Amino acid sequence: MIRILISILIALVISSTSALAQTKAEAWRYEGPRIGVDISRFLLPAISTGNRTGWELQADIPYKGNLFPTFETGMQWFDDKHSSFHYKNSGAYGRLGVDMSIVKFESLKDHDFVFVGFRYGYAMFNQQTDSIVSSNYWGTKVGSLSNHPMSAHWGELVFGMKGELLPNFFFGWSLRAKFPLVVTNDQNIQPYIIPGLGKTGNGTPFDFSITMSYRFPIFKTKKIPKPITVGGAKHPGLNEDIDPNSQGFGGSGGGGGYNRGR
Amino acid sequence: MRFGLIGFLLLLLSLESCTDENRCYDSVDTLMISSFSVSGFKNINSMRIRGINRNDVGNTLFTDSTTSLTKRVPLPLSLSADSTGFIFTVNGKIDTLFVRHKMIISFISEYCGFAPAYTLAGFRRSKGIDSIRIKDAKVNSQSILKSINDQNINIYFNSASH
Repeated sequence: MIRILISILIALVISSTSALAQTKAEAWRYEGPRIGVDISRFLLPAISTGNRTGWELQADIPYKGNLFPTFETGMQWFDDKHSSFHYKNSGAYGRLGVDMSIVKFESLKDHDFVFVGFRYGYAMFNQQTDSIVSSNYWGTKVGSLSNHPMSAHWGELVFGMKGELLPNFFFGWSLRAKFPLVVTNDQNIQPYIIPGLGKTGNGTPFDFSITMSYRFPIFKTKKIPKPITVGGAKHPGLNEDIDPNSQGFGGSGGGGGYNRGR
Repeated sequence: MRFGLIGFLLLLLSLESCTDENRCYDSVDTLMISSFSVSGFKNINSMRIRGINRNDVGNTLFTDSTTSLTKRVPLPLSLSADSTGFIFTVNGKIDTLFVRHKMIISFISEYCGFAPAYTLAGFRRSKGIDSIRIKDAKVNSQSILKSINDQNINIYFNSASH
């Protein structure tokens, strides 16, 4: 574990150093996979009912400049003690999806973007309820519902922004509408909170994330990705990648094909 | 762009803080809605209901001395046994009824908690009760919301003995 952490640290330092060096060569646009953490998960105990804790990691990689295939994974623990029952729920989840930039990048160094996207989510979790107190004319009964393994599938629509606050360090947020698709049936209690999906009691759950992420600038290009347009004959993301060292591009001078076209 | 990042973030946090309303707005009382009448359209002049083996003062479930053709009474069912017994005193005559049922604990909501939910399985009655008709065998926390003309069971007393 320590070796992994040290390796990640070394990779961060090397890539940061190379990024600083790269800032001098402003003609390049650096891209690469981004790995981040959703810091809103650490705020959950303060803004959510019950004792809700968890963590979430997010990763994306640029594809054709404007598309960002994304993977998110995390865990959540929920412990909710009421006067008449004590509910516990914990599990892991993952999401796969794509974010699509809907704004035009202004320059080679501009990486700030607004995006829309979608996710498919899956969670495996357990729930258990103890100290269920029921009372009526005939007396009081205290019961419990044993640990029950469950799973859930859902879809998400995502809207958000990401900005490069420092070289290769990004800060962003997203607002998410979530659509439960399939949840394991429990005739006694349907979960009112699902790891990765959130609260399910009021129709469409809404959620948000706040992400701090680091980009490994391992790809470079001289081309500014064109904004994605709807109904065009050619998908802008399908432009050929431009390698300044390739024969067709002609070395580092003269800029990318996009700039030349102007 | 960066002002937008921060501004929207503050908006999201403020919206999130407004969404949780920790109050229970649902019914959590599970009561079997029961309608009583005497065959042959005979009036019920007085009626008293208590549970079997519940003889203490204050254990009367229902008492009414007004005259009417039918009475509509919500009755609680046992939480621990699979049958519930009632003693009815109608027009001065005493009858007993045992209701057999299956129960599960059903989740209502985060803020309301749980409520028992029953499925009626059968009856055992004294001779003064002519018949019992099950209109809705599911007795749950929503039963109390039935309209005035709807109920879980109809109980018809024998007109000759009442």
